Amino acid sequence: MTPDNGAFATAAYVLAALVYGAYVVSLKLRERRLRERLARLESAPRRASNRPAGA
Amino acid sequence: MTSASEPLPTARPRRDPLLGVAIVAVALVYVRALAFTPIEARQGAAQKILYIHATSAFIALYVAFALMAIASILYLWLKDEKLDRVAESAAEVGLAFTTVVLLTGPLWGKTIWGAWWTWDARLTSTLFLWFLIVAYSLLRGAVEERGRRARYSAVLGILAALLVPFIHLSVYLFRTLHPMPILLKPSAPSMPSEMQVTFFSAFLAFLLLFAALLRARYRIATLRDHVASREQEHA
Repeated sequence: MTPDNGAFATAAYVLAALVYGAYVVSLKLRERRLRERLARLESAPRRASNRPAGA
Repeated sequence: MTSASEPLPTARPRRDPLLGVAIVAVALVYVRALAFTPIEARQGAAQKILYIHATSAFIALYVAFALMAIASILYLWLKDEKLDRVAESAAEVGLAFTTVVLLTGPLWGKTIWGAWWTWDARLTSTLFLWFLIVAYSLLRGAVEERGRRARYSAVLGILAALLVPFIHLSVYLFRTLHPMPILLKPSAPSMPSEMQVTFFSAFLAFLLLFAALLRARYRIATLRDHVASREQEHA
């Protein structure tokens, strides 16, 4: 007789979707944070060097 | 520092169509596997775990960690930062795939073996590889100097990948509860054609997902190095 264990299959598919989904979200968040940091750096003026010219 | 041949990352967010296509492909595989693939008579619906468990394992071991090892070897030889980023990205995406393998395996094992986990060679060595890749990620976070970080992690990455052939052969070398391969074996696959179609569709969909995640992770690594270079210029 075929065992009734569909719940285990469903749980496995849900778990896999959660892991891959969470990883995609973490990649998106990390990329957004880095792009925001880059935008701040690009808009900020570079600090002038204290060294005299030619030094 | 980012390589001169690569386009410099910009602050503008980018849409990635490959990731969207991969997510749709995986969703279609879910529908096909759960609703349109026959239930195996002896194992029941739990056998359908094969389509995500075995495909994720194959991609983690033979694609992600193989790529990590090849990129690490090439990095030690050529010292190209792009190769270090490929190795880093492949390791992290492979870790996500291995996590799925280690979570879905026990659910299948409980229905077939009556136990969530058994300390046999295949399962134990896969868990050990997972810990090694976690250690690889921790090492990357712990070493600040870029050249040293890349060198140390390349060595650890190569050593970790040496476990892959052992994991593959473990079902032949040891007495284990884990089944022998039913598809990747010299003789013809012992699986009905409808199930084979689902399996190979799942493999292609997850391979596409791997490629999309790898590309996204590589973009982050490039962006991070670029931000670090800009911060040094501002300091």
